[in-house]
Amino acid sequence: MTDSATQQPAKPQSPVPVPVPVSVPFEMTSGLRLQLAGVYAIWLREVKRAVRDRGQLIGGVSRPLLWVIIMGIGLNPYFRGEVYGEVRFVVPYTYLQFIFPAVILLNILYTSVQSAVSTIWDREFGFLREILVSPLPRATILLGKVLGGTTVALFHGSLVLVLARFADITLTPLDIVHGLAIMFMLAFALTSLGVVIANRVRSFEGFGVFANAVILPLYFTSSSIFPLDPSLTSAQTKVVYPEWLVIVVEFNPLTYAVDSLRGAFIHFYQFDPKLGPIVLVIMAAIFFSIALRDFQKA
Amino acid sequence: MTMTPAVEITDVTKRYGRTVALGGVSFDVRPNELFALLGPNGAGKTTLLHILCTILRPDGGTARINGVDVVRDPRKARRDLGVVFQEPSLDDRLTLYENLNFHGLVYGVPKAQREQRIEEMLALVELSEWRERLVRTLSSGMKRRLEIARALVHQSRILILDEPTVGLDAQSRERLWEYVHRLRTEKDLTVIVTTHYIEEVERCDRVCVIDRGAILAQDTPAALKEQHGQELIRVTTREIATAAEIAASYPDGTVHKDTEVVIKSQGDAFMEAFLTRYGGRIRRLAVEEPSLESVFLSLTGRGLRDQAAGARELTYEFGKRGGEHTK
Repeated sequence: MTDSATQQPAKPQSPVPVPVPVSVPFEMTSGLRLQLAGVYAIWLREVKRAVRDRGQLIGGVSRPLLWVIIMGIGLNPYFRGEVYGEVRFVVPYTYLQFIFPAVILLNILYTSVQSAVSTIWDREFGFLREILVSPLPRATILLGKVLGGTTVALFHGSLVLVLARFADITLTPLDIVHGLAIMFMLAFALTSLGVVIANRVRSFEGFGVFANAVILPLYFTSSSIFPLDPSLTSAQTKVVYPEWLVIVVEFNPLTYAVDSLRGAFIHFYQFDPKLGPIVLVIMAAIFFSIALRDFQKA
Repeated sequence: MTMTPAVEITDVTKRYGRTVALGGVSFDVRPNELFALLGPNGAGKTTLLHILCTILRPDGGTARINGVDVVRDPRKARRDLGVVFQEPSLDDRLTLYENLNFHGLVYGVPKAQREQRIEEMLALVELSEWRERLVRTLSSGMKRRLEIARALVHQSRILILDEPTVGLDAQSRERLWEYVHRLRTEKDLTVIVTTHYIEEVERCDRVCVIDRGAILAQDTPAALKEQHGQELIRVTTREIATAAEIAASYPDGTVHKDTEVVIKSQGDAFMEAFLTRYGGRIRRLAVEEPSLESVFLSLTGRGLRDQAAGARELTYEFGKRGGEHTK
């Protein structure tokens, strides 16, 4: 759009048109193969855009560094065997280990919701139309978009795993596969949530504020940085923490995602191990359906 | 023999709240035709195209593309369409190649043909050497050309161009039209183009003049000029009195600047009679061919580039779309 750019193509044009190779007509793919190609194309675009966006990558690296190395190491000594009123509990892990799975969640949370910015971007800069007039059904378009965002979020989540040794966590290949499966479901659900938010927020500025207003409360109340301790009964928990906080934490679906991630990486569950995956699948299904409904109206 | 029209629009209506954007518009576009929709901003051209592209549903009437109803089977209808929207719709963080490849994938162009097709289209709009550049580094004229190339990657048979030359400099505009004309002959395409630049429709096969959601006239540029345009004779006389006399003897004659008078021409016989009568008393005589500008003026009673109204209507348009596409 700049003036210098406009002057670029001042290449003298030959009066005689250059002969152009003419391709013979061909059959177009349709049906399932077209759907797969469509999902792949949209996925690839999301991933390419994310790779070229340095700012996002820097955020993805600096966030876990801050949380694990500074916050985690800083608070580590105060965590073990602390006394709360009359109750003393001993936890079988360090604060660093405890917070580590939650930092993975944080990174996925940020990246997924951020990836929805591309939805706003597409609408604002017209690319959405290019997609909408294609022969793809809306569901395929959305699936490609969400899978693209999921992949990027999964990658950012995996960046945290590199810090595992600082947190004194030994990861077996099985742990990693288990963890990645949970992370995938989480990223899928949250990217869908991001699209739902993006459909309701029309400007970039609005989105930034809104995203932070969603991300941080969800994160802090997901039992991520302090435990609702397993050794306490629900009645005892309510003695240690104010009741409203306990309720908020228990109602926050991310609490169960964090729990699943802890199960995978430090083999510790506060809740039933089956609960996490169930909550995640339900979350993914609900958010994706809402996003799809919005998208079909668009 | 009757051919299936490439595009068949029958009594299409569309309202935005109480504003009537299209009030029962009907026309056919024949295969391989270069069809222009001419009208001022806010006339309903873009609304009509959006209905054709299936991103807007009509309130009434039908639109068919190669016989496929756009409301009943939008996905099939879209396959034959190549669309270049008024606002750019490229991903400027991808390269030229990546943009075209995305399009090919999404439209189901098989891998083997995709590469070839992309090269062919890039060559066609002379952008081959920019293949690996990011789109953001291109000028707006080049972006437009790329969008045209993209619209053709999937063997579209109907190319829709919505105001393709807006915001381009004269040179880029000229070049863009060259591509369009060349494409039509080489690729056997049907082209529908909207514009509010009158000089651009001169080379189209048929022109549909549209204003305030209604079709005012529809014909070849030559026929339109013949029916609605008027050949004018501009005469400069030697004396003021002669000018007044001419103006008085031809009821539709008007005097400009004392010795200059403009009258409507009525054919060769008229001209001969006029010259024998006034030939000796005039200094200069010019015949002005009817222009589409004058056709438009006589049809709508206002100039095409009514910019003040245009800007306001653009704002309305913007509001109607729900504030989408901030420019």
